[in-house]
Amino acid sequence: MLTALWALPALGGVLCLFTKGETSKRFATTVAAAMLGYTVWLSCVPYAPEAGVWGLVESGPAWIFGIRYQLALDGLALSLVWLTAFLTVVSFAASWRGAESGGFSAGFWSSFLFLEAALMGVFLSRDLFVFYVFWEATLIPMFFIIGLWGSEGRRHAAMKFFLFTFFGSLFMLVGLLALVTHYHAVSGVWTWDMGELAGANPTGLAGLLMFVSLIIGFGVKIPLFPMHTWLPDAHTEAPAAGSIMLAGVMLKMGVYGFIRVLLPVFPRLSWDLLPWLGGLACVNILYGSLCAMQQRDLKRLIAYSSVAHLGFCVLGVLSWTPEGVAGGSLQMLNHGITTGALFMMIGFLYERTHRRGLSDFGDLVTRAPWMTFFFGWAVMASIGLPGLNGFVGEFMCLAGMARALPLMAMVAAIGIVLSAAYCLPAYQTVFWGASTAGSVSSKVLDLDLREKVLVWLLCGIMLYIGLCPTPLLDALAPSVASLVADGFMP
Amino acid sequence: MREVLGFFAVPSLWPQLTLASGILCCLAAGMTRDVSAAATRVLGTASLVVALWMLLFTAKGPVGPLLGLDTLGLAWQILFYAGALPVFLSLEEDDEVPAALLLGACLGAGLLAASSSLLMLFIGLELMSLPAYLLVARLASPSAPLHEASVKYFFAGSLASCLFLLGMALHYTASGSLALGPAPGPMGQAALALMGAAALFKLGAVPFHFWLPDVYESCAPGLAGFLSTSVKSAALFLLMRLASLGPASALAASLPWVGALSALYGSLLALRQVRLQRLLAYSSVSHAGILVLGVGAWAAQGCEPASAAPLFFYGLVYLFMSNGAFLFLRHSGLSQRGDAAGYGKMRPIPAALFAVLLLSLAGIPPTGGFLAKLLVFWEAVKAGLYLPVAFAALASLVGLGYYLGLVRDMFFDEPKWRSSEPEAGAVEVLLWICAVGAGLLGVLPWIFSSMLGRLFS
Repeated sequence: MLTALWALPALGGVLCLFTKGETSKRFATTVAAAMLGYTVWLSCVPYAPEAGVWGLVESGPAWIFGIRYQLALDGLALSLVWLTAFLTVVSFAASWRGAESGGFSAGFWSSFLFLEAALMGVFLSRDLFVFYVFWEATLIPMFFIIGLWGSEGRRHAAMKFFLFTFFGSLFMLVGLLALVTHYHAVSGVWTWDMGELAGANPTGLAGLLMFVSLIIGFGVKIPLFPMHTWLPDAHTEAPAAGSIMLAGVMLKMGVYGFIRVLLPVFPRLSWDLLPWLGGLACVNILYGSLCAMQQRDLKRLIAYSSVAHLGFCVLGVLSWTPEGVAGGSLQMLNHGITTGALFMMIGFLYERTHRRGLSDFGDLVTRAPWMTFFFGWAVMASIGLPGLNGFVGEFMCLAGMARALPLMAMVAAIGIVLSAAYCLPAYQTVFWGASTAGSVSSKVLDLDLREKVLVWLLCGIMLYIGLCPTPLLDALAPSVASLVADGFMP
Repeated sequence: MREVLGFFAVPSLWPQLTLASGILCCLAAGMTRDVSAAATRVLGTASLVVALWMLLFTAKGPVGPLLGLDTLGLAWQILFYAGALPVFLSLEEDDEVPAALLLGACLGAGLLAASSSLLMLFIGLELMSLPAYLLVARLASPSAPLHEASVKYFFAGSLASCLFLLGMALHYTASGSLALGPAPGPMGQAALALMGAAALFKLGAVPFHFWLPDVYESCAPGLAGFLSTSVKSAALFLLMRLASLGPASALAASLPWVGALSALYGSLLALRQVRLQRLLAYSSVSHAGILVLGVGAWAAQGCEPASAAPLFFYGLVYLFMSNGAFLFLRHSGLSQRGDAAGYGKMRPIPAALFAVLLLSLAGIPPTGGFLAKLLVFWEAVKAGLYLPVAFAALASLVGLGYYLGLVRDMFFDEPKWRSSEPEAGAVEVLLWICAVGAGLLGVLPWIFSSMLGRLFS
């Protein structure tokens, strides 16, 4: 049942390669929609978290060295599986009108299905080896998505993206190998099972080296300062749908790795190094915000704002308190939805004008009032306006951190102010400011019905989570509680 | 007479005997004018397939004083024979000689696998190498300088043979026997080092690699695939045999570093190549380095036959990857790296197959190349060879520069020229098999783990 979550999109991707033109678009969208339906059905019917933290478990035969094909679903994984399935549908809907103009449209749609399959695999795996294979497998479709259907600098951006993240993954692989070998030396058992390894707690120099290599592996993906330089390029050059998946889901893989692997396996070291790691997360928040302020390109701006927002997630998770981890997980969803909406609308603008610069627009409110309204909504969610989703997540992250390291939480709180300082002026320039000489605002048509429905949907979810986050937090609570149960905070 | 008949009754050597009779048949077929070249090719392929099939029944055990079969010998014969199949099926010469020569090289490798003394190792090595020199001369690519590569290959190979003979002599002096056993003292160490150098020569590991790019570049792509799989596997097998003579010797201790350096050097030089076949040649130097590192790790853990499975798996995956990559060059007719630009837009399917092979060569999950590399690296980590592994991992990262760079050029650039019609038929089918094999070995290793388990039990 869990295997189908990644096998069906993969199969769909293969079949999609044999279709042409409009058919492939319809086929891929059908598959993605069916997957969304399947995840919803899965979480309503067979998934039974009451029986334990793991609502569903699937296990294959053992292979060499304790590697075993194992999938499992708990609240945390489920929330990210939802996000993946949902954003895949959203990104398809967002690129309905010829985003695959680079030619070879079947490839475009099937790449997204392959990406969905690999992402599902990452969130479902319970075996670290399987986790790693899926982790790497996400790179290949994204490499093609950026390189084939991106904008002008795509060739360079795709290569940079791949090399950076592969570099990080190499470290991660070495760290995992060392961890498994270490665990074998201690316990005499070969295992890659996340649950079993969670008791390993290696310390000393060897432990530190493993810890650091895993941080590099996960950190490149998040991206944690100073490993973030691939992100602005990749986000900017990717097609709108690619940016949605990249920012919406792929960045979350790193934080997920923190929650699932890094902190449970290295509780001692995580606690000892908390000031350093927390410091990095704060740098992420502050530096990302400052960089975002300087950007003249809408997509680059949102890309840097992702760096800042992910800093909040990391901070919450690092506190390793129930509210912090739950807040971090919630903030992952929030960021996925909010940034997805922003990238989608920038994609709509780009589709109409082929421009993304702040100074290319102005006075859009008269041309496109609906777009102005919704963009403003998403911006408010992004800067954490109470009543919308961003506020809940950031608040919980900071609350968690305030219990662990109050000073760090105070520094990070500055980031909330900064986020207003980079989002609002940009919003003002583009939508409300005076139209300049080189402006292309006159070419912009307002949202059509399909676009409106999509944006309504996303904005509705923002409002819903903002007003009533309890159902989601309840879904997350059992897994968070079991993770943090043997927490390391004194 | 009875002894001769008894020899035939030994199932250990049936594959080799099959190949020998295949050679005779090919030559005989060549003498009669009415048998076409295609028939000799079918004959050769059939004898290889039969030899592979016979491996299922061959029994392990000694055969006389010089020959004998053990787990490693049995397993590696699969690599030798299977690695030769693609070049057979893609032969285009109109005569029977290449078929007989190829079978001869395979027979040499087969004897190498079944030898239980240094003397037989040497004979197997020579029997494999001599046809290979001729093949390089015979199947040279039309643009290559006449016979330069073949002469170079011959001289480098002869030098390796001399080193091996000298090492054998020293080994005999030190131990008083040519049997595969340890030789005491510094002379024994020197003997191993000399013979090891010969094996590294054949393998094309740094610093004995200088002949390799020229040879691989100037022979037909199919033959280059054969040289980089069957012949290299044989050299690797030789190195493993030598390392197991002295797991604690200076030779075994130096192997991880030789391997790491080869891996890095090959990757770095491949970055700058403009001709694709030369690029793949340097890439094969890099892969040989990883295999040598694996042998070093294997020796450091005491040369247990069972723990050679990762090396075998690497050889198996490399068989698909390397043969496939060279076959793609043949199939597409591409020779310069710049020509690859936009090939994916002109011929998406062959380009996609090549991309799978390249990603596998680069070692990116979920392909077989990743799993193979991982298993070898892991053995090395278990043996405590952290620094060489770090170098080899760095080499993989450098390797991305050209493997992934090629994928990028093929798919992201606009075509600058009209490609010629790709070659259909056997080459295309083989390309499919190689790409699918390299991919599947990574996705469904479970199938092969049972096979490996049975082989190495």
